[in-house]
Amino acid sequence: LPEAEAIRLAQQGDTAAFERIYQLHSRRVYSLCLRMVGNAAEAEDLTQEAFLQLFRKIHTFRGESAFSTWLHRLAVNVVLMRLRKKTLAETSLEETTEPDEETGGPRKDVGGPDLLLTGSIDRVNLERAIEQLPPGYRMVFVLHDIQGYEHNEIAEIMDCSIGNSKSQLHKARTRLRELLHETLRAKSREKREAARSEAAGHDG
Amino acid sequence: MTKMECREFDNYAEQWMEGERQPEAAAHIETCAACRGLIADLEAVRAAAAAWASEEAEPPARVWVSLHAQLEAEGLIRTEEKVSWFARLFPMPLRPALADLALLVLVAGLVTMQSEFRGTPRAMAALESELSRVEKSVVQEMKGRDPAVIASYRKNLAIVDNFIALCEKSVRENPQNDLAREYLYGAYQQKADLLGTMLERGVIGE
Repeated sequence: LPEAEAIRLAQQGDTAAFERIYQLHSRRVYSLCLRMVGNAAEAEDLTQEAFLQLFRKIHTFRGESAFSTWLHRLAVNVVLMRLRKKTLAETSLEETTEPDEETGGPRKDVGGPDLLLTGSIDRVNLERAIEQLPPGYRMVFVLHDIQGYEHNEIAEIMDCSIGNSKSQLHKARTRLRELLHETLRAKSREKREAARSEAAGHDG
Repeated sequence: MTKMECREFDNYAEQWMEGERQPEAAAHIETCAACRGLIADLEAVRAAAAAWASEEAEPPARVWVSLHAQLEAEGLIRTEEKVSWFARLFPMPLRPALADLALLVLVAGLVTMQSEFRGTPRAMAALESELSRVEKSVVQEMKGRDPAVIASYRKNLAIVDNFIALCEKSVRENPQNDLAREYLYGAYQQKADLLGTMLERGVIGE
């Protein structure tokens, strides 16, 4: 069943059409949710919520924008709402949206030529660093660098300007760089301490 | 052209990563290891993310099951009308001239009563009595219908009755066996379903 036909039938309440739409898009929506929250159970819950909202509103879809963009806008809102609720309980709103404003721009003095990230970013560290990004930055980074959306699509999905999307992405990457450097430094400290302990053990 | 400072390059880094490479920024990068390091790191972050892109996960099947249930509960989807096994056995529509609405209510009550069913001899007798009473009314309603349909109905009713008899025997022999009681409950429900469908078809005039 082609997507356009599935949408038309779903607007009439056809069960099979709902299932077809779910089959076509659930993988992408679930992946987005999983990458945003880093927790499978929560990602399942968010995926269900996103599709529930989609199906509640499907009769209003008139095809002004691409269906997948419309669905992703719903999914993004569901995820951001959840993350903001969680984050607000932990930090202030300013911290969740503009952590770099006070420095006037991206920091680059976190490492030197001797401590580059090239070839040293593993999946676990990247996931942990992404989890520490403010929700807005995280969403743009996941949509652009992982899910492969263009800035104009992100602007439509997130209801912002293209410039804003570019700026948020740059800030996200820069913040990730800082976080990943912190991880690298911590690892290198651990190594040094382990070597020192070992040397002390030999001396003793 | 004046020499660019690192702080100025910060303003160009975003454009640089978007592929817009200004000559003054390129000149600065040639001579500044720290800014080269910044760009190399940002490229590394982008590459690490891109490597993750191909790994899309499938949501577990329970997500759709749960979503479907929710959609049904909210009345957002058109659920297929439940077709009983009896309806499938009788493709020809039955159109009784008179349908007793009270009998429908009775069958509904019977099914509700079965939810409390524990398989005691007393409960079994009560259920059988109710079913028997409904059955007589249904048979009465069917008089004058197509003999082939009536024969088919009787045949299937006999199958259900045999099944009920077997289950009752099993419960009598193993009164504590939950599975035996469950089977008996299912058998009664089948008969109620069969009779209910007959009446419903008559009432609706399908």
